[in-house]
Amino acid sequence: MTAPIIEIDKLTKSYGGKRGIVDVSLEISEGEVFGFLGPNGAGKTTTIRILMALLRADGGRAQIAGLDAWDKSVEVKRLIGYVPGEPSLDNNLTGGQILEYFAHLRGGVDKAYLKTLIERFDLDTSRKFRQYSTGNKRKVVLIQAFMHRPRVLILDEPTSGLDPLNQQEFDGMVREARDDGRTVFLSSHVLSEVEKTCTRVGIIRDGRLVRIGGVAELKDIKRYEITIHFARPVPADAFARLEGVSDVEWLGDGSAVRLAMQGSADAVIKAAALHPVVSLTSDEPSLEDIFLRYYEGDGQGPKEAAGVV
Amino acid sequence: MARARKRRPVLFSSVYLKTLRDYRVAILGWGIGMGLVIVSPMASVGTLINTPAARATLATLAAQFAWNAEPVAAGTVGGYATFKIGIFIFLMAVWPLLAASRMLRGEEETGSLDVLLSLPRTRLQVALQKVAAMWTALLVMAAVIGGLAYLGGVAFKGDFNLIDGWLFGLNLALFCAVIGGVALVISQFTLERGTAAGVTGGLLLVFIVVDMVHRVIPNTDWFSHVSPIYYYNLSKPLIPSYGTSAGGMFLMLALAAVLTTAAIALFARRDIGDAVRVPGLGGFARPQPASRALPERDWSLGSVYARSLATIAAPTFWWTLGIAGFAAWMVVVVQQLVGKLDTLLASSPNASVALNALKNIGGGGNALTATFLGAMFELLPVLLMAFAITQVGRWSSDTDNGRLEIILSTPQPRVAVLLGRFGALATATVVIGVLTLLASALAAAIAGVTLDSVNLAEATLGMLPLGLLMAATGYLASGWLRSAAETGLISFLLAGWFFLSFVGPDLKWPEVALRLSPFYYYGTPLLHGLQFANLAVVVVIAAVSLAVASLRFSRKDMSP
Repeated sequence: MTAPIIEIDKLTKSYGGKRGIVDVSLEISEGEVFGFLGPNGAGKTTTIRILMALLRADGGRAQIAGLDAWDKSVEVKRLIGYVPGEPSLDNNLTGGQILEYFAHLRGGVDKAYLKTLIERFDLDTSRKFRQYSTGNKRKVVLIQAFMHRPRVLILDEPTSGLDPLNQQEFDGMVREARDDGRTVFLSSHVLSEVEKTCTRVGIIRDGRLVRIGGVAELKDIKRYEITIHFARPVPADAFARLEGVSDVEWLGDGSAVRLAMQGSADAVIKAAALHPVVSLTSDEPSLEDIFLRYYEGDGQGPKEAAGVV
Repeated sequence: MARARKRRPVLFSSVYLKTLRDYRVAILGWGIGMGLVIVSPMASVGTLINTPAARATLATLAAQFAWNAEPVAAGTVGGYATFKIGIFIFLMAVWPLLAASRMLRGEEETGSLDVLLSLPRTRLQVALQKVAAMWTALLVMAAVIGGLAYLGGVAFKGDFNLIDGWLFGLNLALFCAVIGGVALVISQFTLERGTAAGVTGGLLLVFIVVDMVHRVIPNTDWFSHVSPIYYYNLSKPLIPSYGTSAGGMFLMLALAAVLTTAAIALFARRDIGDAVRVPGLGGFARPQPASRALPERDWSLGSVYARSLATIAAPTFWWTLGIAGFAAWMVVVVQQLVGKLDTLLASSPNASVALNALKNIGGGGNALTATFLGAMFELLPVLLMAFAITQVGRWSSDTDNGRLEIILSTPQPRVAVLLGRFGALATATVVIGVLTLLASALAAAIAGVTLDSVNLAEATLGMLPLGLLMAATGYLASGWLRSAAETGLISFLLAGWFFLSFVGPDLKWPEVALRLSPFYYYGTPLLHGLQFANLAVVVVIAAVSLAVASLRFSRKDMSP
């Protein structure tokens, strides 16, 4: 496994007496695209702002490329491209002026590449920031984060306000960054985006990291559904006690059954094979379903996710 | 079972009450603060009019300072207070100017007006309720100011009653409503509240000068009629023998109503987030074709310092115009005033005492021109410090609004960002100082006024450390306070320092108290040159403040 480029260890931050994040630990390898998921106020932005040395942690450690995010913030920021959750820029500058300004503050960038990014997002650089639509403002912020080809991209809800076409462009840029061996740390509410672009996902809730694992691995803990249609009715208790079945719902006259599943379906397939099967369908859960499950109000999420997958 | 009654938060039940609630601190703070400004001269008048001769001299001498205010019954408590406030009327107008600029334009900038206008209310209703809240706030302030003026009169044996005090407050409130109306109209034509406030502030200075003209140059009354301050000055309720001009007050009321109505009518018809388009001023300009070009040769984009300098350039230009213009104007008019003062000083033994009181901060010397100018020049650092306050406000506002966040994501040390901004402000103060020196020297040459050139240079350039002190103090305060509180605190500090030096000597306050004001260390450089040891105290305090501000900024959590 590649050495971690982002290391967060027992990171804790509170605002006055109010909870920010508590004992958050994770490691992200170089070249990884990591999705950071959580509802509003869960602690995503707090974690990111500590990495960016905008906040100082109360406890724990955050390092990027082996450098302490706070003590070596200037060195760390040479490596980073950043999109804040609520970007605010000088309204009186044009998009072009803003990009030129940040290019200077970064010590110069490859102008040809910068112009390519402007082309890709189809950004009119002659308009003042205040005159841009929300989506165009977001484009400016995204371009300034990518324009110096940073080793690490830290993006806080980066596609908020972008139209589907530009979201696609953004997905492409993230894939290119990954292919170049660069690292992306991305927080998002758009789970399909995380599903498409990320290799691993962490879920944060109430300031604590409740789950972390590969996108595929997270799907393995899924609750999925299997619906089986038989040629004739089958006994009602045929599936109730099988391994992996958590719920059984008989449909129609008893010749069809919908099973809520978790884990392997081997026992169900073997039991179904004892009867004449007309059709069998399985509904794959989306990351959305998994995500929502962790945020159900029943408090079960953290319990289930006690270990890292 | 008795059902528990849910308390309805009354102050959130309408736009009017919510806006009034937003003004609650200002009503109290500004009301009491301005009330004390009126009372403070009353405290010192007793020592100036303890004999009939002194009273007569004071009245005569005040006439020589007519440029400041019309000297009516200057030998009475109410008359002296009215006279002494004079051009400091601009202090009173600062709140309505800021509040009216923020009222609609400021809320558009933050986006909160979008939400408000999504409610089932017309724009007219929303705007009217907001204006009504501001006018109510002004009336309450007027009552507080009038009440304090009355109490001051009681304490220092003034001859005006409570009704007179309230009329004084009402006259002031009407003037403030006019300035608020001007700001509200201008804010319909600008995209930022800061621009609206700046332009209105500039106009306020113009109004002051225009009103001043008829008191300095004979037969120019017609010209001063253009200024609303002229109508404010028609009423002097703290001087019972002079009384109140109902016509003047009515005219200000009508003017405020017309301006406000115009502003609301414009607001009701324009796009939210946009300004009223004026034909011929770019409103109907042909749309620019889309471009993907980068301004690669723009000098202002090279560093935080250069960017800050470009941002500060426009306000620096206007403030330079104001400060250097004021200095040059003083140099030009000093000759004719000094001629009259010379005669007076020769004929009256009490005149020098009164003169010292009138020019507020002391000075004196053989050269009367320099004495008089020295007193006037002591206003220059106050103006430079006010400039610094407005620019530090921009920094704290950027900090609050997360505007520094992306800048801080670049490999710039935080201290470098702060020092870049401070450096730009320091450069602007140097520009103002140097141009004030050049303007004064040029004016002196043209008007034939002889001034010690070294002292003139020291008087104009010596104010720079005071401007930097104010800036450093603001940066220091913004390390802990949010923008509004920071601006309020350092404005209060400036007012405190000014009145310490303004009233302190009259009240024979001990030296140790006077030393708390930086103006003490500035001294009277036009007369005596700079005391560099004294100025070093200011420089050291400014440096320490900046160092602590840098340390704090480099360690603080940035607002999300």
